[in-house]
Amino acid sequence: MWSYAFKRAGTTAVTLLAASVIIFAFIHVVPGDPIYVLLGDTATPDQIDALRHQLGLDQPILLQYLTWMGHVLEGDLGRSIFFQAPVLSVIADGAETSILLATMTMVWVAVIGVPIGMIAAVRHGTWLDQGLSGGAMLMASIPTFWVGLYLILIFAAWLGWFPSSGYPSIFEGGLANLRYLVLPSLALAAPNAALILRLTRASMLDVSREDYVRTARAKGIRPWQVVRRHIWRNALLAVVSAFGFTFAALLSEAVVTETVFALPGIGRLVVQSILRRDYPVIQGVILVIVVVYLLINLIVDLSYRLLDPRVELQ
Amino acid sequence: MRYGLSVLMRGAIVTATALFLNAQAGAARLLREATIGEPPPLDVMLTTADVASVIGRHIFETLYALDSTYAPRPLLAESDREEDGGKTIVIKLREGILFHNGKEMTAKDVVASMTRWGSYGARGKLLMAAATSVEASGKYEVTLKLSAPNGAWKTLIADVNGGLAIYPEDIATNAGNKPIEQKDYIGTGPYKFVEWRPNRYVEVEKFDGYKPVQEKGDGFAGARVAMFDKIRFIPVPDVGTRVSGVQAGDYDYAEMISGDLYESLSKDQSVQVQRTNAPIFGLFFMNSKQGILKDNYKLRRAIQTALDKSQALRVAFGPKDLWNAEGSIFPKGTPWYSAEGVSGYSAHDAKKAKELAKEADYTGTPIRLLVSTNYQAHYDEASVFTRQLADAGINVQMMVVDWATLLKMRGQPEQWDIFVTHHSFSPDPLLLTFLNASYPGWWDSPEIGTLRAELIKSTDPAARKATWDKIQALIYEQVPVMKVGDAYTYDIASPKLKGLNPNGPAFWNVSTK
Repeated sequence: MWSYAFKRAGTTAVTLLAASVIIFAFIHVVPGDPIYVLLGDTATPDQIDALRHQLGLDQPILLQYLTWMGHVLEGDLGRSIFFQAPVLSVIADGAETSILLATMTMVWVAVIGVPIGMIAAVRHGTWLDQGLSGGAMLMASIPTFWVGLYLILIFAAWLGWFPSSGYPSIFEGGLANLRYLVLPSLALAAPNAALILRLTRASMLDVSREDYVRTARAKGIRPWQVVRRHIWRNALLAVVSAFGFTFAALLSEAVVTETVFALPGIGRLVVQSILRRDYPVIQGVILVIVVVYLLINLIVDLSYRLLDPRVELQ
Repeated sequence: MRYGLSVLMRGAIVTATALFLNAQAGAARLLREATIGEPPPLDVMLTTADVASVIGRHIFETLYALDSTYAPRPLLAESDREEDGGKTIVIKLREGILFHNGKEMTAKDVVASMTRWGSYGARGKLLMAAATSVEASGKYEVTLKLSAPNGAWKTLIADVNGGLAIYPEDIATNAGNKPIEQKDYIGTGPYKFVEWRPNRYVEVEKFDGYKPVQEKGDGFAGARVAMFDKIRFIPVPDVGTRVSGVQAGDYDYAEMISGDLYESLSKDQSVQVQRTNAPIFGLFFMNSKQGILKDNYKLRRAIQTALDKSQALRVAFGPKDLWNAEGSIFPKGTPWYSAEGVSGYSAHDAKKAKELAKEADYTGTPIRLLVSTNYQAHYDEASVFTRQLADAGINVQMMVVDWATLLKMRGQPEQWDIFVTHHSFSPDPLLLTFLNASYPGWWDSPEIGTLRAELIKSTDPAARKATWDKIQALIYEQVPVMKVGDAYTYDIASPKLKGLNPNGPAFWNVSTK
């Protein structure tokens, strides 16, 4: 277990280094320039050159990379060109929104996707199964922004039950501010719950065809007992790994939802930063997202072992 | 056990309700404005970004301000006089004006700000390129000496947008060409900077030491009275969310709403529509430095002759209330309105365009049109014109990029033949970007050089207007730019707000009904 963890840490470090090179190169290959965006329409070439020099953007790319990497290794992701603030604090502020949104979304996904997937599997082949599977297809097909706009229209503009947009931190307004995330998390949960529903159903159907399940049924154990004791836990493996990756993906995939609901999250931050070419923020955010992906990947692999002692970690 | 659970549940509900009510409280004196996006740093002297100006004008002030007719009126200045035929300008400052750090504004602060603005300000060169000296001639008096008179000097320093905002002396002196830090956002405005939460909001609060001028508020001029304790400028890039937010009461004001929603929102009781009193106008810049259009005025006129501007405006802006196919660079009702040359504005004559193109020796070479998708109107106009030009046998290749890329590419003359942008309303021709020879497009023919110098030097309004008429005629002859037409943007606000500013979002003198 420990030697496996060390090995994984080594490959993670190499992956991170490669990712940092790719991120940096990609961002600087894209045309455009933060200086033009910063100074606006009437900046003269002299003003542009002078400010580029001030910000070190006239240095060779390799030198810029090495400088940035040196700071990253010291735990400093640099300063945002636009916010004039440390990238780490900008990301931390956005992370609160993104993590809470992803968590609330995963709660909806678990509450909606898993039980309904189980019901569809247990009632396999019936009209109920077909109805639930069809509904899941529909949920997975409707664009998130469309769902989001209608949720705003109905529950915010017409009924006034929830705020239409924005998110003040829970550290400022208390847990009541979580109500700002209800509609966006529902919009984001719709397609993901549908996927988990279908995965749960398929996984349970696979397991239910195993010999030991047939034996359990032959022994006369009640259907729900068979599901609870024999099918559910074994079917859980695939669902758990899907949960892990869905959570990680939500941090970056939430960009459309964050834009529609004007949420100050990581997704919107990175898109706005790309539009403005705020290099330090783009590099910092993508690096953090890569780290989160790798960590979740590791946690998922390790949890396999906990869920199924037969799994060998190599 | 069950009893314990019910007690817990009830406790949780009570706590949640209390937290909810707590979150609702305390917002009575807060105004929430949904902006189109995050601003660049609020060093308004350096940037011409509108979103920075909207926030910045609450914090920073100028010596003069534009009233609702876009005429300059004293703000931090008390009075002025011109000497030496207009080459010496003496400005007397108001006394007792405090910066947000508690220090009094004096001539030293104005001189330092003017010096920095002249070196690095976005529009500083327009006035300060001709400055021979600027000095404090008294504690509350500044003397600016120019090598030649400038007929528009007061207008050129009457807006914070890339303009002469007055900073404390030490901040202006130490800043150089780098945007000032947030800790140095210290101005004299009715609101002072509190904090900038990246990706969340910029917050300003009422400045108790503010001393308004005596005149009644009018546009950006006159008395500025802060009626709200705080204002939050919240970036909401999606227009649908801005609209829903005002309808739901989550924002009090939202900027730049799209034309397709205008008619429905005009009938909507949950919002009030605020149309700007001055139009922006689309501009297609021709490359005067390099490429197929360089000095080829006949081909440029062929391009303009092929176009129907109304069609493009309809596609880009929607309802007729929001646009006007007007050939005069300045709209009707302004002192600069002119009919010179406008017969060539929107002929939509493909046959004549073909003839002109033939005379210009045009053989179908692709004309590269650089346009951004960040502004939908730009893209819509370019698409319509590309189609119309194809009908006239003129081969246009659209190069569609994002705004940051366009800003960089347009500075490289080998990359494009035409680029698309829009221009905000200008109170004086000298503020028009295409009259600046170093602005991409680089219009600097001998004819415009002569007329530009004439326009700058003349101080007589009638003479300046006559010069402007000649310039507009030259614009239609040499076609350095093609004007698409006037477009009136609009914002929406909560019906509870009163005293909204016709010049644009500015929240002094604004209160709730």
